[in-house]
Amino acid sequence: MQSNLGRVVLGIAVLVVAIVLLIVLKDDGGGDEGGSGGAVTTATEQGGSKSNSGKPDKPSKPAIPTIVVKDGKPVGGVKELTYEAGERIRFEVDSDVSDEVHIHGYDVEKEVEAGGSVVFAFPATIEGVFEAELHGSGEQIAEIRVNP
Amino acid sequence: MTFLPYAHALLARQDLPIPAWLFAWGASIVLIVSFFALSIAWREPRFEGDWWRPLGVGLSRALLGPPAQIVCGALGVFLLGVTVYAGLRGTEAPDRNFALTFVFVTVWLGFPVLGAVLGDLFRPFNPWRAVGRAAGGVFTTLAGQRPTHFSYPDALGRWPAAIGLLAFVWLEIVYGPSGGVAVGLSPQTTAAAALAYSGYTLAMMALFGVERWCQRGEIFSVYFGMFASLGSFESREGRLGMRRPFSAATRWAALPGSAAVVIASIATTSYDGGQEGAFQGAVESVFDWFVGIGFGQVAADRLSSTLFMLLCFAGVWLIYLAGTRGMASVGGAPPLRKLRSGFVHTLIPIALAYLIAHYFSLFVFQEQAQFTYLLSDPLGTASTDLFGTASGGIDFRVLSANAIWYVQVGALVVGHVIGLTLAHDRATAYWGDYRQAARSQYWMLAVMVAFTCFGLYLLSAANA
Repeated sequence: MQSNLGRVVLGIAVLVVAIVLLIVLKDDGGGDEGGSGGAVTTATEQGGSKSNSGKPDKPSKPAIPTIVVKDGKPVGGVKELTYEAGERIRFEVDSDVSDEVHIHGYDVEKEVEAGGSVVFAFPATIEGVFEAELHGSGEQIAEIRVNP
Repeated sequence: MTFLPYAHALLARQDLPIPAWLFAWGASIVLIVSFFALSIAWREPRFEGDWWRPLGVGLSRALLGPPAQIVCGALGVFLLGVTVYAGLRGTEAPDRNFALTFVFVTVWLGFPVLGAVLGDLFRPFNPWRAVGRAAGGVFTTLAGQRPTHFSYPDALGRWPAAIGLLAFVWLEIVYGPSGGVAVGLSPQTTAAAALAYSGYTLAMMALFGVERWCQRGEIFSVYFGMFASLGSFESREGRLGMRRPFSAATRWAALPGSAAVVIASIATTSYDGGQEGAFQGAVESVFDWFVGIGFGQVAADRLSSTLFMLLCFAGVWLIYLAGTRGMASVGGAPPLRKLRSGFVHTLIPIALAYLIAHYFSLFVFQEQAQFTYLLSDPLGTASTDLFGTASGGIDFRVLSANAIWYVQVGALVVGHVIGLTLAHDRATAYWGDYRQAARSQYWMLAVMVAFTCFGLYLLSAANA
């Protein structure tokens, strides 16, 4: 009787874990393909990862991810940029408003003129998830992930 | 300098989600440890008794005597004053103002962890208790008699604290207008809330007595006291003593409403973790729905967040109730009522584990700010440099993503084991027959596994 119940509970517990695992793994897969729903559009994410896979280490590489800011908002939603620790974080911001672009955590700030653009390039030394935002308006324009 | 007040969240860096492999390992370890624990189960309760042993008289006198009480109480009142002053007069930038980090990180996260190791450390520093006791002393001197109080309704128990706890976290993570960050509240609102809460607390203390209200209604005393019941030190009648770790927790949940306090703690942390990932999509859908039927953005944000926080509360409670109902089906079980309150304390380690898992990195990073620029320049206006540390900052490199992950998973596993230990111990006290006790614990084991795996899931989905 007792061992029977034990087996039942074990079964249920394993089932729970299996279901939760499934959800998580499924989530991961969905995230890689782009678009876990909400404000982030698929196109942006794919664009981000595509240009990112082109080894941003080379400084002469012309194709770096570009965030286009129109009417003070990022075109296509908050852009996701992913890097490995030790790489160089490189991206460009083209803005039609004058503001200051600020990367949280790294505390890197650069001014951008209305209609101008600004390029960021700094080493990915801190692991985690960071916001890039327009300081004046507080609008988030990118989410920078640095994986270990 | 025309930055908007919420341009800076308190949290400049967010945790990466734990990777799938670590999630799988964590969950497997939890299961293996759980069944191993069952197989070596003991037959007599080991934590139920009163294990308090006094320490040296000199030590007690130094740490608990009137001078120490006055110094600690005065320090508490002083820091509350600094918080309110900084909140009202300091910068609007939350990360540069002493008030937010001090209340929501240093105090709110520091005391649970310290208390769980040492004991009720908040009590001597509690500013409202200090003011209340001083006022009582003055009254006694002037009137020549001790103040009289209304009798506190027994049935109310700790419910005022449970509701207050929900309200406090609601203020912290729902009310703040920049939803989705750790602390969205403005320093001014924090100061106003602190003043309002001080007035309310002192009034309640005047009505029902200082110590009675601290035990039942004062949010911080009850909440920190809950975690402190796991700790090893306790003072009795002016004497400092040591007790067996976790043993005081077995008596903590005697008052009605205690279940609501610990469940509110687990639920609010779950909600905060979940809104960063696991429930993010669902919260957004509900938000869109509220906007669709005509609510403004801020109102819809608050409504959807509040709804999910309450759902978390209901969900955690239901899981716990299901566990107790299952236990009641085992032969020789005490009445369901007794079971319901009898296993509440086994959730305290889970609540602490959730707290550490979700806020560990925030605490480590933000305390660097607390002891550098927030200490030297509490107003954040660059007008003072009290200790010469105003130009300091947070070094985010002190913790790697891996270190954070291991602490998170480790906290959940350890909390799980302590919870199981306490549950098994209580079962041996409730069931005369040890076999029945072990059988009843399959149910609590299922509850604990559910909470721990859910905690792991929240970590794996946060910012994913």
